[in-house]
Amino acid sequence: MSGRHRDAWPALGLMLPGCVLLALFVGWPLARTLLSSVRSVDLLSPEGGPWLGLQQYSDLFADPRFLRALYNSAVFCALVVPAQTSLALLLALWVNRRERAYRHLRFVFLAPTLVAMPVLSVIWCGLYQPATGSEMGLINAVLVTLGLAPHAWLSESAIALPAIALMSIWQGVGLQTLVFLGGLQTLPREMFEAAELDGASAWQRVRYLTVPMLRNSIVFVVTVTTILACRLFVQPYLMTHGGPDDRTLSIVQWIYESTFVDHDLGRASAAGLVLLSLVTCIALVQRRLLPEEVA
Amino acid sequence: MLLASFQPGERAFGHFLGLLDLRTLSLQNYVVAFRRAGLADALVTSGLQLLLLIPAGLFVNSAAAYAFARLEFIGRDALFACVIAFIILPVEVLAVPLLLCARDLRLTGGYFSSLAGLTLPFVAKAFNVYLLRQHFLLLPRELEDAAAIDGAGVWTRYVRIALPLVKPGLVTVALLDLLTHWSDFLWPLLISTRHDTRTVQLGLANLFTQPPLDWGAIMACSVLATAPVLVLFRWFARYLVPTDARIGLR
Repeated sequence: MSGRHRDAWPALGLMLPGCVLLALFVGWPLARTLLSSVRSVDLLSPEGGPWLGLQQYSDLFADPRFLRALYNSAVFCALVVPAQTSLALLLALWVNRRERAYRHLRFVFLAPTLVAMPVLSVIWCGLYQPATGSEMGLINAVLVTLGLAPHAWLSESAIALPAIALMSIWQGVGLQTLVFLGGLQTLPREMFEAAELDGASAWQRVRYLTVPMLRNSIVFVVTVTTILACRLFVQPYLMTHGGPDDRTLSIVQWIYESTFVDHDLGRASAAGLVLLSLVTCIALVQRRLLPEEVA
Repeated sequence: MLLASFQPGERAFGHFLGLLDLRTLSLQNYVVAFRRAGLADALVTSGLQLLLLIPAGLFVNSAAAYAFARLEFIGRDALFACVIAFIILPVEVLAVPLLLCARDLRLTGGYFSSLAGLTLPFVAKAFNVYLLRQHFLLLPRELEDAAAIDGAGVWTRYVRIALPLVKPGLVTVALLDLLTHWSDFLWPLLISTRHDTRTVQLGLANLFTQPPLDWGAIMACSVLATAPVLVLFRWFARYLVPTDARIGLR
């Protein structure tokens, strides 16, 4: 059935618009980034200065602030990815029913995802506000009412990053739930009915039917959540400005600062490519651990 | 946020109970938000951007995804590896080089070229190609093989058989595009330098950065930056329901 040449022309036709656009708006800028990462390039004169070669990269890894950003982003991933993926799967299983009430519940979980991140960052700043009398944020107000100690959530160095992670999980979990729901809806219902008739418990049905059959969705969600977590930017940028003591400085924020504050496009490009290769490695490892099933 | 948007600015933070005071409710914040943030233009721009971007994106990405999922051709796997690699590229890393490219393509300046600049770079998305390919791979191959034996060409199999079956995937992609580009901040900031092509998020940011800081107007603007997405989401969600009712988990 499948001659490798027979499909070539229709394939070209189907892929041409996508490939042209991707080449123009991803490939070309990427090539520019690669070129500027080995030169000294100033943002205001993008034609480029002297050739630096790999010097750019060794400078990068000698910069303690960049290493700090690298470490912060890794911690953020470790906090967010497992928690968000398992929470999303649980929520998707819970709300994947036909009753009207569950459809509304689904909407409740998705609501935070539908609100733009800049808006949410500002509102959570209000929620996290430290204890200063009548200006006390809602979270601290609740803690004090319960007889617990209030915290300056965003300015204590030990808890600022986890506080941002908590807010990010809350914001992002709806989207991953949506992806899991999309996957759940393609599963054949008959198989679950048969399993139920054979006396399989709810847990057994999830463990031996849903999870294996959702494998593609799970690989997808884990990979995408990791990638999104590595791109952390808006929340620390607006909520903490990377502080306290650079404890919430993310890689992307470091890149943003070297581009728009230091105008050092070359250094920023090099850091961007480091981030890119890191994330690529993570994605490749994940795909090896969870081999994709091709139908 | 909704409550705060109808109250005078000084009540927005501080006492949460103060927000429930009916006597001070007013639309004043909305008037200020429209005037200071240029919200009328901003809503039109954001609307047009999504109206152009989402349908074009659905077509372009699903076509490429179908080719990757079902067709055999030389270099397919290598090309798909490139697409996977593109997924990972953070917009923030490419933003500045992309801006320089967009300038070379004359996608800045005029009203329509700014609109194209907001839209065109994000029509084709590696991420969406990957997601839709996963959905196409889950379809039983037999349906398309049967159609092929009956003489259906690639185009017919793609449009008539595969596309209707991946509707949940298409809706997911449309929703992802809607959310991403409605709330996108950095790219509109860089590309749309005209007053009349500001997006809603840029309008909101203007309220934040230009003194005097008016929390009431900010809250009003936040409501308007949120409500359209909620409405559109409900509208899209209708398309998820029929499939859901047919093959939901009981």
